Amino acid sequence: MTVPEMTGASDETAMAPVPVGVTADPSVAEQSDAGPSDPQPFDAGPFAAGPSDRGLAMAGAGLAGAGSGVPGARWRRLSRRSMVVRPLTDLVRLLPLLAGLLILHSRTGSGLLWGAAASVFAIVTGLVHWATTRYLITDERVYLRRGLLNQKTLSVARDRVRTVDVTAHLLHRALGVCRVSIGTGRNDLRSSENFHLDGVTRADAESLRLVLLSGVGEFGADEPAAAPARPQAAPAEPGEAPALAGQSALAGQSAAAGQPAAAGPAALAGQPVLAERTTELVRLRVSWLLFAPLTMTGLVVLGVLFGAILQITNATDINLAATGPVRHVVADFTAFSVLQRILVGGSVVLVGYVLIAMAGYIAVFWNFRLAGQGADTLRVTRGLLSIRATTISLSRLRGVEISEPLLLRAARGARCVAIATGLHVGRGAERDGSALVPPAPRAVAQRVASAVLGLPDDICSGPLESHGRAARRRRYTRALAGAVLIIAAICLATWAQDGPAWVWVASLALLPASALIAADRYRSLGHRLAGGWLVSRTGSLARRRNIISADAIIGWRIHQTWFQRRQGLLTLTATTAAGQQHYSVRDIPVADGLALAAAATGDLLLPFLQERAAADP
Amino acid sequence: MTTDNVVADPLLPGLRVPGNRVSRRAISYWTARAAASGAVVVAVELVLAAVSGFPAIWRAAIVVTATFVGLHAIIMPRWRYRVHRWEVTDEALYTRSGWFSVHWRIAPISRIQTIDSHRSVGERLFGLANVTATTASAAGPVRIHGLDRELADRLLDQLAVATGQTPGDAT
Repeated sequence: MTVPEMTGASDETAMAPVPVGVTADPSVAEQSDAGPSDPQPFDAGPFAAGPSDRGLAMAGAGLAGAGSGVPGARWRRLSRRSMVVRPLTDLVRLLPLLAGLLILHSRTGSGLLWGAAASVFAIVTGLVHWATTRYLITDERVYLRRGLLNQKTLSVARDRVRTVDVTAHLLHRALGVCRVSIGTGRNDLRSSENFHLDGVTRADAESLRLVLLSGVGEFGADEPAAAPARPQAAPAEPGEAPALAGQSALAGQSAAAGQPAAAGPAALAGQPVLAERTTELVRLRVSWLLFAPLTMTGLVVLGVLFGAILQITNATDINLAATGPVRHVVADFTAFSVLQRILVGGSVVLVGYVLIAMAGYIAVFWNFRLAGQGADTLRVTRGLLSIRATTISLSRLRGVEISEPLLLRAARGARCVAIATGLHVGRGAERDGSALVPPAPRAVAQRVASAVLGLPDDICSGPLESHGRAARRRRYTRALAGAVLIIAAICLATWAQDGPAWVWVASLALLPASALIAADRYRSLGHRLAGGWLVSRTGSLARRRNIISADAIIGWRIHQTWFQRRQGLLTLTATTAAGQQHYSVRDIPVADGLALAAAATGDLLLPFLQERAAADP
Repeated sequence: MTTDNVVADPLLPGLRVPGNRVSRRAISYWTARAAASGAVVVAVELVLAAVSGFPAIWRAAIVVTATFVGLHAIIMPRWRYRVHRWEVTDEALYTRSGWFSVHWRIAPISRIQTIDSHRSVGERLFGLANVTATTASAAGPVRIHGLDRELADRLLDQLAVATGQTPGDAT
């Protein structure tokens, strides 16, 4: 484990003014580079070419020297502070277990021993993690090496990097480090081979982001040491601040806070401010908090809280129901009449839910800001305690999804999620960094979607082509058949159990309810192809309008059940490497579906169409 | 491996039928597989019924299940054989599969990332293999089931050569 001397020192922000990446002796790099045989680690390329040719108004002063020198690529380490972060996070995670162990073994006195052993283990793993993790950025590839016994080297071509995600939880922030995840589009849905660096300094994270996505700047050179996860309002062009920004008090505050932080170091260095052109697209407004209770986020937070409490009470053997305050509340509650209980209980639950949902919204989306940065990246920053900054390369953005869950839709709200290769979309899209607009007024979501993709407005909001009577009939048949099955089951159960008659009578209410849902589902159903964008909309309880670029479609699936065949419908699915990997147009009439697919992808489908195989397209 | 006859797809007018059928041995394989999994269900029912001393309701259930399993094992493979078709052109891989529900899949050769072949024990018994072509989309793999083993090997080579000729990262 021989390590060049300079490596350790360079990760401190204070050392940053030395453009280490440039001045480092190539031999130093070679010495440590025993691993992957990179073809040309010292080749001058875009790395050294300087930013000017990329059309970015970047200060040339710091990099003028860089161009002339030999750009040395060398292995770098995480910040030394990561040695502290790692054990502490591990210990926090182990806390319930440790507490349990302490209590279990307190009689024998071995509890302390267990705790000490765990702490030592955590500290040692932290040291090992720091000592064995190294990364290297060459002109062509990024390498990450980690592991003590099983050494593993991950590498990714730089032109495959689609997103850079910088996160920092409380501990990270206290120590001034953050975690950088690099999204490559490979293994999109698997987590085992994640390319991430846990514990680099903010300055390093910022230059990593610049180097990897914009292809400009010198890694480790003197970039302004702006905290990446803090909203940086500084480089914004004066004229470009959109109306939204100035309107909320929140926006004003964070702009004021961000400005000096970002501008400071560059100004001190006597250079022109690094003018990476930033165009703010949207910023959180406090009034959007009202949308928080209308999404599932509140329920998720509630679940997490409940789980945490259960885990702690389990581990510590405390019987919550027996504690003083809880007994007191329960006693008071049982003194009420039934009506009072319903009123009081209901309002407590409602108010509690609203507060928790709002708290969740604040925790996730505080300081939310979406900005176009440079010529070809989007930057999303957000978070109150744990902050996150996601950078999405525009060239990897394949579309957007505007989702309107029923309640949110009722309040004319919507949210907007990016469909990009390299960004995971799964459970709770906003957890995975692809949120472009948090739950907000629908008009905002539509405006941002159009602005980001450069779409005409009516693609995000305009009417769609409906799927006709057969599709409508299918919506009703499916909804009513489902309702009838449930009602039959309920009737059978009440008959078998001699249950009260009102149960099955009440269950009849499912019929009109499902008819309403069917009507709404049909109203939502639609598609459109315009200007190379495929738009499809489905769903009622969770209505989504997916807009994907026809260029991003890398295959088709056509699915037809026996019932659909009788109704002359099919489900057309476009497969893509981005987002959810597949986007469907449901229950579209056969002729329309084939025409849509043929129009969207030109040559791909035509050879397989019966009539047009011979005729000219 | 391209066929020129353009046959309209009776299942989906407008689309044409992929040129090649799968191996006839696939019918036997699918029958055997359906029968085997059905037999497991019936056997479990028999054991459960034996424990409670073969009451009438259990006997009825077993008869119904056995009939259903038998019909499935007879009808499904033949129906499936008539549906399953595939074709490789210079531009794309085109398949039709399923039975009660039918899937058509089209994957451009230029977007194919990996091609592999997998043989389960059952498939090997019947001299069969399947070929899977994956694309950059996790939802986009195209599988051809029930191919003759030698044909599968040749197809694998052919696709490997064809996909190797397209530059780019196929996203």
